[in-house]
Amino acid sequence: MDLLEQLNALPGQLEERLAQTATEADLEAVRVDFLGRKGKLAELMAQMRNLTPEQRPAFGQAANAVKNSLIELFEARLAQQEQEREAAFIAGFDPSLPGRTLWNGSLHPITLAMEEVCSVFRNMGYEIAGGPEVETDFNCFEALNMPPEHPARDMQDTLYITDRVLLRTHTSSVQVRTMLKRKPPLAIIGPGKVYRRDSDVTHTPMFHQIEGLLVDKHVTMADLRGTLTAFVRAVFGEKTRVRFRPSFFPFTEPSVEVDMSCTQCGGQGHVNGQPCRVCKGSGWLEILGSGMVDPAVFTAVGYDPDEVTGFAFGLGVERIAMLKYGLTDLRMNFENDVRFLHQFPV
Amino acid sequence: MLLSFNWLKEFVPYTGTAEELGEMLTMLGLELEEVVHPFEGISGLVVGRVLTCEDHPDSDHLHVCTVDVGAEEPLPIVCGAPNVAAGQLVPVAPVGATLPGGLVMKKAKLRGVPSHGMICSEREMGLTDDHSGILVLPEVNKSGRKVELGERFVDAYELDQEVLDISITPNRADCLSVYGFARLIGGYLGLPVTMPSFELKEEGEDMSNAVPVEVKDGELCPSYTGRILKGAKVGPSPAWIRYRLNAVGIRAISNLVDATNYILMELGQPLHAFDHNKLAGNRIVVRPAEDGEKITTLDGQERLLKAGDGLICDGEKPVALAGVMGGLETEITDESESVFLECAVFRPASIRMTARRLALGSESSYRYERGVDPTGMAFALDRAAALMAELSGATVCRGVCSCTPRPFVSPVVRFRRSRAEAVLGIELTDDFCAWTLEALGCKLDRSDEADWKVSTPGWRYDLVREADLIEEVAIFKGVDNLGETLPAIPQTLETFGMPESRHSFMMRVKHWAAGLGLNEAVNFSFVGNKDLDFLGLPAEGRVNIMNPLTAEQDVLRTELAPGLFQNVRQNIAQGANGVRLFEIAEAFTQDESSDTTVKEVRHLAFVLYGSRYDEAWAHADEDMDYVDLKGIVEKFFEFLHLPLPAFSMAEHPYLAPAVQMTMADGSVAGVIGRLKPAMADAYLARKAVWYADLDLDLLREASQGKYTHFQQLPTFPAVRRDITFIAPRSLHVDAVLAAVKGVKTSLLESAELIDVYEPKGGEERNITCRFTFRKADRTLQDGEVDKEREKIASAVVKALGVRI
Repeated sequence: MDLLEQLNALPGQLEERLAQTATEADLEAVRVDFLGRKGKLAELMAQMRNLTPEQRPAFGQAANAVKNSLIELFEARLAQQEQEREAAFIAGFDPSLPGRTLWNGSLHPITLAMEEVCSVFRNMGYEIAGGPEVETDFNCFEALNMPPEHPARDMQDTLYITDRVLLRTHTSSVQVRTMLKRKPPLAIIGPGKVYRRDSDVTHTPMFHQIEGLLVDKHVTMADLRGTLTAFVRAVFGEKTRVRFRPSFFPFTEPSVEVDMSCTQCGGQGHVNGQPCRVCKGSGWLEILGSGMVDPAVFTAVGYDPDEVTGFAFGLGVERIAMLKYGLTDLRMNFENDVRFLHQFPV
Repeated sequence: MLLSFNWLKEFVPYTGTAEELGEMLTMLGLELEEVVHPFEGISGLVVGRVLTCEDHPDSDHLHVCTVDVGAEEPLPIVCGAPNVAAGQLVPVAPVGATLPGGLVMKKAKLRGVPSHGMICSEREMGLTDDHSGILVLPEVNKSGRKVELGERFVDAYELDQEVLDISITPNRADCLSVYGFARLIGGYLGLPVTMPSFELKEEGEDMSNAVPVEVKDGELCPSYTGRILKGAKVGPSPAWIRYRLNAVGIRAISNLVDATNYILMELGQPLHAFDHNKLAGNRIVVRPAEDGEKITTLDGQERLLKAGDGLICDGEKPVALAGVMGGLETEITDESESVFLECAVFRPASIRMTARRLALGSESSYRYERGVDPTGMAFALDRAAALMAELSGATVCRGVCSCTPRPFVSPVVRFRRSRAEAVLGIELTDDFCAWTLEALGCKLDRSDEADWKVSTPGWRYDLVREADLIEEVAIFKGVDNLGETLPAIPQTLETFGMPESRHSFMMRVKHWAAGLGLNEAVNFSFVGNKDLDFLGLPAEGRVNIMNPLTAEQDVLRTELAPGLFQNVRQNIAQGANGVRLFEIAEAFTQDESSDTTVKEVRHLAFVLYGSRYDEAWAHADEDMDYVDLKGIVEKFFEFLHLPLPAFSMAEHPYLAPAVQMTMADGSVAGVIGRLKPAMADAYLARKAVWYADLDLDLLREASQGKYTHFQQLPTFPAVRRDITFIAPRSLHVDAVLAAVKGVKTSLLESAELIDVYEPKGGEERNITCRFTFRKADRTLQDGEVDKEREKIASAVVKALGVRI
């Protein structure tokens, strides 16, 4: 076989070989064999010097053509292989693999509930105020119209540090501190921890409250009702109904408790013919206590009760969290079991 | 307060159901807890007559009876009671009825004789402890009606089947009696209120001076009255009184005591019965106690008194703690025959102080603390004396012994409709306001049309200011019927531009920590002193709780560590592999300069334990270590735009190693380290517990006003070179980086640690650092970078004696 024939046979040979390649490495071996520096094409080209000068241009042209066709064949196979690999990857792709997660951070449900409430009032224009958890008897009781020996002190069993210093039983002490420090008008909310000497299935000795206070020239009970109705709707949905009912707090007059329609039974009082467990069949859930600031409180902090009126309210954060997230056991809030905490991702 | 629906209807002709009444009262500020049915357990019992009663043929104590329960056939019943006899009217539990213990009556045979029901004792009916025999019933009930056979027992004898449990707020002393409720309901609904009728037969000579009463402190005791009864025979009260007291939660004792309790529940006036013959000197002195005086109360306890406690004394000695509890010596006993019946009012705060201090709360002190109506005393005393006479066969002596140093004067309170409208935000009419106030028993002087003078009644201690009257108007109007408006919220310029509040800062940090992947924990602020002792924390400066609930909660935490370590324990016990918690809360220490004597510092603490990742999937299974925790802390400083503090080894009560974080100004930002393994055992931790504690108030202060300053991005590329230093293990990484910093070079942009390799068993480790070189205005050449690298390498080798 002369040189030209050998040359022209190369594409056929390559095609045969390429057909047998499976892997990238096979392909590379074939490439080296045909197109490498010591490959078949190079070998034939090296023999060109044995040709006559007249033969050389024709051979050269033919060699170029063969080289191009070899490259073409090779690249076609390469492209084909890539396509096959890609097709195999797609075919073998498992979309059901679980995602890789780093850490699952969470905020405590009490924090979440507190934030939700605070943000409603912040949006209304209230400012956040604070105060210490250990309080004086004056700020926690006396200034709130609860002199020593007032029977209302029985409503809140107190943990004492000394005879005159105690763990605040309500965030209402924040009202007193703020009013003593600042002149009206005031619109504040005070979230924080409070403490009572009480521990059973429905009470923990530490819990969380949010206090609200609005003091201005013409604040009315209708303002109080509107504000709290708006709050309940914002947190529990527009369909939630609100009921106001007279009550007693030494630091407000008139005092009202606010009930909202039960989150479980929608205020029906029953679910599938059974009395609702959440509201015990009444259809209502007590959600907060409030009222018009008692004139005695204004006097105690140096405000003139003839000049200003105001309303105050206090709500239990755990209560909101339990209703909102369906928590059943109050004590679980303070066990910090990660299986519990992980359910409140941020 | 347990309010019997039947009892109430004896006073006021209310026609709705108990539930409807409860709903109405709730909206009047007297919240219904529930309607209880005290006699539900015996509602299946019927009245029967024992027709025949013969001895059981095979028993020495059983009787075979036939009992007519109004059915066609009399029931055969075997009865073991010794007192059963033909002709008796008895309570019968027929087949199918349930007894209070849950026992359901079935047809039975007792020693061969069929028995279709049971004749019951009071104990079997859950009424009293009396099990001496079956209950024999009277032919007529308390209303004088003859009962019928087969009638339900609870209906026949008009038991109080529905009782409203109403929670009474401390201001509503007027609703601590059946009459009090009737008065309110009558006023609100416009129904007539009928007072109980009774006949007081006074006999003999006038005894109003027989027991002279002297009140030494008119503030303590504005009015004191008493009556003398003679010839009383102590014994059990009739069934209707016992059952009624039982229904409202009072244990029946004897006719004399039951009479006082009955009037207490009915009229709200506490009464006390002394054995008149035991009152030495035949006189009564009411005075404040002196410090150190003693009295033995009728529970047999000797009580040490304090100045200000109210005392009732006879001619020689204290005989009662005023309004709280009687004395043992003058107590009514089974032998008592002559009674001095006390009816008085006392200063509420005194009674409360005494009752609280001695932990002697009673139905009487409960009412006195809240205020007893001085205008109702006379009626209550007469009614009680008449009832006592009726129950005990005593005669009531003529005349009332009394001393009233401060006769009741009705407070006069102004009321302006305009003010009420301004507070409530609604329009009112004069007619409505007047109707409300008069319905409550107030007397109005409307001579000034815009500014009324309102005299409030003796039973409303809570109506002393205009605000109190406005509240009543709101309640009668219905607080659920006022308008709803959204007020404009006042804003002042001062509040804008203020530094970030503690609360907002805390919330920002919480979100950061949760976003980082940590779980927020909330623990109680109190722990046990022993928890702090266990961690070796100082005893000085702790804030102890005077009246802790338990020893486990007797001190405020000085650090967050005890709670978080406890959480680690809890989670390990529950099988958690990894725990990554943070908490933000106050730590408490004594501080005399604080107005509360306590300093509260807000802390941020982290605890890491066990596996780095929760899921095994797609992660190497490794435990968290110092570097994990330090990374969190470093990120936190970065988050606050603060330079990193200096980290230096320190001594610590419960951490080892403990690394203190010191800020540039020398203040200590916190500590980070590993819980000492000996202590970790107590928290079930087999692996290292990594803990960090930061002073969040200090960091907040330091970070105020700090924010990001943008750095221009470089235009020209950087060139990087790594160097591995072979150093003794005692050499800290920061020494290497510090030595690098000491080298004068114009091309080095930054140096960072990229690897530490510690060959096993060796004294040395390989510290690999990566150096980044860059020029702001041109691209660097390899040659000049290599030169710089050499310069740095040799400088570090020279400075630290390390090898390359």
